[in-house]
Amino acid sequence: MDQELVRLAINLGLPLLLLVLGYFTGTAFEHTHYRSIRLRERRWRRMPTLSFPRPLPQWQVQDTAMVTGSVVISLDYFKRFLAGLRGLVGGRVKSYESLLDRARREAILRMKESAHTAGFHAVVNLRLETSRLASSGRKGKGTAGVEILAFGTALKIADPARP
Amino acid sequence: MSPVSFDPRLPPENNVSPTHPLAELAALLGGILLAAVLLTAGATLALDWLVPHLPASLEQRVFSGLWPAPEAGAGSQQRDPEQATAEALMLRLASHWPDNPYRLHLAVVENDEVNAFAVPGGLVLVTRGLLKRVTSENELAFVLGHELGHFHGRDQLRTLGRGLVVGLTLQALAGTAASGLPALATRMTELRFARAQEEEADRFGLALVEAEYGHVDGATAFFRRLAETRDQDPTGPGNAWLSTHPLGSARIQALEAQAREQGWPETGSLTPIAWRSASARH
Repeated sequence: MDQELVRLAINLGLPLLLLVLGYFTGTAFEHTHYRSIRLRERRWRRMPTLSFPRPLPQWQVQDTAMVTGSVVISLDYFKRFLAGLRGLVGGRVKSYESLLDRARREAILRMKESAHTAGFHAVVNLRLETSRLASSGRKGKGTAGVEILAFGTALKIADPARP
Repeated sequence: MSPVSFDPRLPPENNVSPTHPLAELAALLGGILLAAVLLTAGATLALDWLVPHLPASLEQRVFSGLWPAPEAGAGSQQRDPEQATAEALMLRLASHWPDNPYRLHLAVVENDEVNAFAVPGGLVLVTRGLLKRVTSENELAFVLGHELGHFHGRDQLRTLGRGLVVGLTLQALAGTAASGLPALATRMTELRFARAQEEEADRFGLALVEAEYGHVDGATAFFRRLAETRDQDPTGPGNAWLSTHPLGSARIQALEAQAREQGWPETGSLTPIAWRSASARH
């Protein structure tokens, strides 16, 4: 009976512990991350970042380069569990929405920061790419993470005030 | 600082559903568990209705192919005397079951634990440990009669069907939500008959014992002894039967009450075990 109890504790207790742990760590990380995202989005708000493929007509482009920003995200146990349950009944996989939202915004921010560091003023033709990283477990069917890549053409623009 | 003037609004944050994750967890888990319970309950009802309509001959055809092959050398000469005696006893008991649709067989499992099982298709499995520990034929007769009672109630098919449904449901759950829950639940449903089924099998077994010997003495003695040894040695081999056949004093009392109601003598002469007396003569 003792062995049964131990087995029960391992079978039931361990996943439960991981769920609770996943929930609290996941929530804490998400909270911190969103704070940082919102702060930096306000900071970089005035840097033009357009999906439009050409510079605006009034811009005098001096230099161009491709800039990228990439983020790899993974799931926590709790989100994975929720999505697993969701997979049984269908519907919006809400637990992944915030994860991907964070990743997209973070990737764009990294791209903008990289453009700024390299001395560029704007980015046009912004594109987003997603790719799944296969995990080695579950015969390669599992997902180790998702990469979000933001890329675009960075522009150096001449200052009309200083010809 | 920037050579371009650009003053956009920040985009609205509308890409994340506002549902709290814990609320979603509760809704999903509750809904899925409810569905699983309803499905299992529905399947149990359906099986209870369906199983009596399935002819035993069909059951026998389907399942006898799955039985373990008789062990090599189990020919008529080297035939295990304990197995032969127990099987003969079982067939004698079954002769008091007038419309028995099964062709019955008995096999011995080489295991020191005390247990017996009714396998779909008419096979009764008895452990060597049980055969070693019975002290009279009457005790063994009741165990065998009890297992025949499971055939009478078609309990193995119902339990098998229910186990299948539960297993499939859990498999579906486990396929997506990895957790230890399925393993636990399968253990709980593992070849365990419902209490009502056990009691019905007891009644049937006791009736067979009475029909065979003209009294029911010795029928419950074996269980009493098992219960006593369990109290002394909770991990001993006698525990296996008790873990799959929950035995309260209520069950023994029910048997005694049945005997009183039917006016069956509760004392009588016990028949010794045939293979014991045979080996004693050597």
